Amino acid sequence: MPNLGEIAARLISLITEAIGSSSMRLGAAPTVAILLVLLVLLSLIARPSGRWAAADLGRLAAVRRAMALAAESGADAAISLGSAGVVRAASATDRFQTLAALPLLGHLAEAAARAGVSLRVTANDPVAALFAEATLAGAHRRTATPERASASAVEYLGEGRAVAAGAALARAAPHGLAIVAGGLGEESLLMLDGLLARAEWSLAGTASASQAAGPLLVGDGTLIGPELFQAVAEIAGSGHARTAVRAANRLISTAVLVLLLGSIAAWAGGPQVASFLAGR
Amino acid sequence: MRRSIIAGIALVSGLLVLLDLLIVNPSVGDAAGALIELLVLLAAAAAVGGGATLAARHVRDIATGNGDPVGSIVLLVGMGAVLLAGLRPGSAGSSDPLVRWLVAALLAPIAASLFALLFIFLLRAFRRGYTWRARETGVMAAAAAIVIVLLFPVGGRVGDWLAASAGWVRAVPLAGTFRGLLIGIGIMVAVSAARSLLALDRDDD
Repeated sequence: MPNLGEIAARLISLITEAIGSSSMRLGAAPTVAILLVLLVLLSLIARPSGRWAAADLGRLAAVRRAMALAAESGADAAISLGSAGVVRAASATDRFQTLAALPLLGHLAEAAARAGVSLRVTANDPVAALFAEATLAGAHRRTATPERASASAVEYLGEGRAVAAGAALARAAPHGLAIVAGGLGEESLLMLDGLLARAEWSLAGTASASQAAGPLLVGDGTLIGPELFQAVAEIAGSGHARTAVRAANRLISTAVLVLLLGSIAAWAGGPQVASFLAGR
Repeated sequence: MRRSIIAGIALVSGLLVLLDLLIVNPSVGDAAGALIELLVLLAAAAAVGGGATLAARHVRDIATGNGDPVGSIVLLVGMGAVLLAGLRPGSAGSSDPLVRWLVAALLAPIAASLFALLFIFLLRAFRRGYTWRARETGVMAAAAAIVIVLLFPVGGRVGDWLAASAGWVRAVPLAGTFRGLLIGIGIMVAVSAARSLLALDRDDD
């Protein structure tokens, strides 16, 4: 029967062999750079410092008033989770926007549940629709309004971006409040116009860089690029989430600083920082 | 407790994939590969389950007379037609000629006719934009007009100058703006993923 010392020796030997049979994939500098960014991020999340100054991104503070007005006029609220879905054949960044839009949906669903406004959520991905249903149920649970849950519905529109755009145009109606948040493609203007154009108050948000013009033209409130993710942290009550956004802001500032210094260095004939950081 | 378990699984999975990104190790590579295959299978199963739920719901709507029965029938007939074409005996699946015909003869023209409306809706969006934010929309319209002028199909020295200017606009201000947006989006995607892993957002459940 092996004693504890032998077990420890075998364990150390196993770890040593595993390390011995491994090699760096990216080289020392890029690996250290990646780990450093992660460490900075995690340390900022774990040890918040400074005071969070919230901004009214996308004019989300107006949501409660818009819901109250919709309740008074008997209008409904329409929300689309974009056209990227969760398991559709879209890019990972586009699909992640659908996940980022779910907390936004939860925030709106809470306001709608309190105001007694019926929500109509649309998605062109069955899995995203299931997530949306769970989000609506969670909002009614948190606000203790289960009797109002039946007034809201989640609809799966069908596969494809054209389907989402066609449905938005075909069902264009005067909503009390209309929101499109998530990944959008070339159909963005059709979707935004169909859903938002006749709404009393509208919000358009996407992190699809090529579609930034559509929300700027059509929405009363807009969340462009990183703002879609940032707004999620802002509406969350957790201070940790806000600290994560602060951490991201610092990383953005650091990245911009590195870009500027690297550009100046390259312009002045100094070392090529880009090739060093990329390990090439 | 349930959130902690899910967050723990997600954290371990994420660390394993990150480890595989950073080091070359056969065991770690196999484990990460198996994990990714499992995720693909889970996503596929979820998609099939979602489709089945959709069909079941519309069958129930038709049976109970709720909702839009005509729309439900059209949906179920469409689903049945595509499934029949792709799954009948001897079919080549998604590359079967019948499936391809359904896509080319029905879906593609419908999608193309929808997207052909984009120009009209762009003009409408500009009109709406001028109503709400005249100054910002004016800047956008001016920039769009400049780009259109630069892309005029003109020959000679003027045409060369216009083409060079269009190339500069694409390579410098446009590329700079896009890269700035993409850097910000990339960082926020990483932060949002970390927030999801740590279960910091309220609607993760």
